[in-house]
Amino acid sequence: MRRLCVIVLLAFAGVGVALPAQAHNVLVGSDPKDGATLTAAPARITLVFDQAVRQGYAQVGVTGADGTAWADGSAEVAAEKVSVKVKPLRAGGAYVVGYRILSADGHPVTGKIGFTLAADATAVQKDSGTQDPAQGATGADAAEAAANGGAGMAVVWIVGALLVLAAGTAVALRRARTPAPDGDTRVGEAAGRVVTGDRDGDTRGGERADA
Amino acid sequence: MTIAAPPRPRVGGRWVVGAFAVCAIVAAVVASTFTAQEAVPGIPMPGPIVAYGLPVVRVLLDLAAVAVVGLSLVPKLLGFDAPELTEPVLRRTRPLTVTAAWVWAVCALLTIVFQTAELNPGGLPTLGMIAAYVDGVGTGQGLLFSAACALMAAGIGLMAVRFGEKVPAELRIIVALFGLLPIPVTGHAVNSVWHDPIMIAMETHVMGAAAWAGGLVATAVFVAPRPSLLAVALPRFSRMATVCLLLVGLSGLITGLGTMALTPGVELPGAIVTSHYGVLVVVKLMLTALVVPLAAHVRFRLMPLIRRAEPTAVVGWVAAEVALMGLAYGVAVAITRASIG
Repeated sequence: MRRLCVIVLLAFAGVGVALPAQAHNVLVGSDPKDGATLTAAPARITLVFDQAVRQGYAQVGVTGADGTAWADGSAEVAAEKVSVKVKPLRAGGAYVVGYRILSADGHPVTGKIGFTLAADATAVQKDSGTQDPAQGATGADAAEAAANGGAGMAVVWIVGALLVLAAGTAVALRRARTPAPDGDTRVGEAAGRVVTGDRDGDTRGGERADA
Repeated sequence: MTIAAPPRPRVGGRWVVGAFAVCAIVAAVVASTFTAQEAVPGIPMPGPIVAYGLPVVRVLLDLAAVAVVGLSLVPKLLGFDAPELTEPVLRRTRPLTVTAAWVWAVCALLTIVFQTAELNPGGLPTLGMIAAYVDGVGTGQGLLFSAACALMAAGIGLMAVRFGEKVPAELRIIVALFGLLPIPVTGHAVNSVWHDPIMIAMETHVMGAAAWAGGLVATAVFVAPRPSLLAVALPRFSRMATVCLLLVGLSGLITGLGTMALTPGVELPGAIVTSHYGVLVVVKLMLTALVVPLAAHVRFRLMPLIRRAEPTAVVGWVAAEVALMGLAYGVAVAITRASIG
């Protein structure tokens, strides 16, 4: 038993290192900053996380104090930056930027920041998102693909294994039922088994105590 | 042989299983509600079916995996010297292992569906969404791998149903433990040089907890009604449990504190009480501390009696211990998804 434990732990420790676990994303900065009061309406809102955000699932919403939506189009992910264009914002209002992104470790991360636009704010700031989001996106895509590999074949294998095993289970358990001397080797509800197991065990234990 | 035995007033095996399962499910739902990310304006959030269904399915996955590991340990605990005594027990555990492995696999696949639904709020997830999720997100692949291992455990379990102990018990244990390996990958990790040590700690934690809880439940349900077998199996389990307790406690502390210390924007020790993750770490630590005196009572007070095959209230004590473990398992489901900061 002890030898087994050592072997298993050593073998598995190696596997653990090889597994591509990722960390949870944390918002580390934003443009505009949380709670900032702006003198010029932003054309784009950018959220910065501590590490690359996964493509495809990021959502950013910009909501005014009266519940109106101001985001223009969907969120763009470029490595650790998630940005969204905004429609020309009305001056003198509070806005909430809500986000829900897929963290590198596969968990959705939700949060919000707020900013206020001064009453005398100028119309629209120049789009500060000078970086080309498309380029960043392809780079991140490639990195993700390299980290994950394809899963298409795995699905085929698993479906095949499932079918074979399902047939095997049906046949083997049916066969195992007949020769059992107790005649109560039912398969299915675990609760039923536990009950019969208990009762059976009690009588057996009693017999042995008598003998 | 199915003579109706008179109902016994003492705590039976089904109480142990029930306590474990109910505590785990309740703790998972409560802890997940506690750590749920609050809705933010402008972002659609998943509905209540996903919000409550996901932790339940996820904890059922854990319970099934614990059952497979525990049932696979039974032959090792009983030993192979007296097949005429152990065979009646094993004839019962072998088909159950197969059933539990199937439940594990189905729960793993269901978890993939629920997690896809969580990422695509509003409406049922389509096959295309699920495929995209598995293809693009490591969590989906980890769960798929776990399901494959569970199916392998079911296959080997079937061979054991057919051929008995000619199928090595070690092989069954290793395959079951192997299926646990991808589970931590679906949880948190850190980006730092400490990534590998923390991953190893997490793998140790998951395997140790499954062997400990599973072995205890299996012993209480299937071995405890037979005093002569319990006299052999419990001392063996007790040695293993001592190692598991140390491994689980130590690796849990390393993982929990390490992950918090290495997450940007988290300041220890304040974050232990202010962040959801920190509170859950404290809860798990308290549960472990509560298990210790119960385990010590069984180990030092009851075991000398059990060795002499005398009747004891061991199943009742184990039921209490297992209930605490179930709570810890439920909290574990929430902790893998709680935000650290």
